[in-house]
Amino acid sequence: MPSDFPMKDPQEIWQNQPTEPLKMSANELRHKAIERQSKARSEALSTIIIGIILCVVFAWSFARAHELLARMAWALLSVCMIYAAYHAYKWIWPGNLPEEAPISTCLEFYRRELERQRDYPRRWWRSGLPFLTLLGVVMAAVGTGARNAPPHPLLNSLPFLVVLAIWIVAFLILRKKQGPKILQREIEELRAFERENR
Amino acid sequence: MNQDSLYEQSADTYGSSLDRLARAYEFDPEVRRDLLQEIHFQLWRSFAHFDGRCSLRTWVYRVAHNVATGHVVRQRRIRGRLVSIETIEAMPDSNDQGELAVTQAEALDRLSMLMQRLKPLDRQIIVSYLEGMDASSIGELTGLSPANIAMKVHRIKNILKRWFVEGGHHAK
Repeated sequence: MPSDFPMKDPQEIWQNQPTEPLKMSANELRHKAIERQSKARSEALSTIIIGIILCVVFAWSFARAHELLARMAWALLSVCMIYAAYHAYKWIWPGNLPEEAPISTCLEFYRRELERQRDYPRRWWRSGLPFLTLLGVVMAAVGTGARNAPPHPLLNSLPFLVVLAIWIVAFLILRKKQGPKILQREIEELRAFERENR
Repeated sequence: MNQDSLYEQSADTYGSSLDRLARAYEFDPEVRRDLLQEIHFQLWRSFAHFDGRCSLRTWVYRVAHNVATGHVVRQRRIRGRLVSIETIEAMPDSNDQGELAVTQAEALDRLSMLMQRLKPLDRQIIVSYLEGMDASSIGELTGLSPANIAMKVHRIKNILKRWFVEGGHHAK
C-alpha cells in the first residue's frame, strides 16, 4: 500500500498540535499552596486524634482487664495505635516535589522515585505494626474469652481468626517479595546506566 | 527576578510545550488537566530555589518531566507494562495489516499511544526530541551522555518511520 500520509516530520506534527496552555496567577498558586497545607494539616490532625482516642480506649480496657493475656493485648494495641497515628501523620503530609528535583537529572530522579517506592513497604514492614496489631487482636480475643467462661463467642471464632491471620500474613509476604524484585531490577538497570553515562 | 515573574515568564514561553508534555504522560484528558496543574504548581514552587545554575528551559523541563515521572511511578499497574525504546524497536512488524495514519489527528493519536507505552526515561527522550531539542540539551536534561542520546534518537526515528510511513501493528 503506497504511503498517502504526509510524513512531513513527526516533530512538526507534534509541535503543531492544538494546545490549551495553562497559566495560573500568583494568587491562585498561593491559594493552592495554602489550601494544600491546611488540608494536609486537618487530615494529619484527625489521624492523630483517632489514634489517640483508640489508644485511650485500649488503655482503658487494659486498666479494666484482669487476665494477664488480655492486659498484654490491650497494652500492645494501645501502643500500636499511637505508633500508627505517628506514621500516618508522616505519610499524609502532601507529597511536594523534593527540593533537589530541578537540579537532579531525570535519570537520577526516576531512580530515586523507584527506590522510594521500593523502600516504602519495607519501612512499613520493618516496624512490624500489622503483625503486632493482629497479634494484639488475637490475644485480646483469647484473653477476653478466657475470662468469660462458658466460652465467649469470640473464642468460638478463634480458629477462623487464626487461619485468616495466617492467610493475610502469607499474602502480604508474597506480595512483598515479588514487587520489590521487579523494582530492584529496574533500579539496578538505571544505576548501571548512570555509571555508563557519567 | 522573583518567583512569580519567573513562573510567568516560563508559563508564557513554555506553556504550550508543557501542555504537550502532559499529553505524553497522561491519555485521560481530565487526569491530564490535573497533572498539568500539578506541573505548574510545582514549577512555581521550585522557582523559590532557582539559582541560575542551569538555563530556565532546562529547569522548566526537569521539573515538568520529574513531576510527570512521579505521576507514572505512582501508577504501579501501568508502570509494570511499560517498555523501552529498544523493546519496541525489536518488535516484528506486520505491514500487511498495518494502516497508515491519514490525518493529523490520527498521527497524533499514534504518537501518544507510542509514548504511553514507553518507560519514563525513554518518554523524556522522545518528547524532548519531538520538541526539537538537540542531543546535548537532552543529555543535560536526562543525565545521559550525548552518544547515548544519539543512539536512542536514531532508534526513535526508526520507530517513527515504521509507525508513520510503513504502518505496522504497533499502531493498532
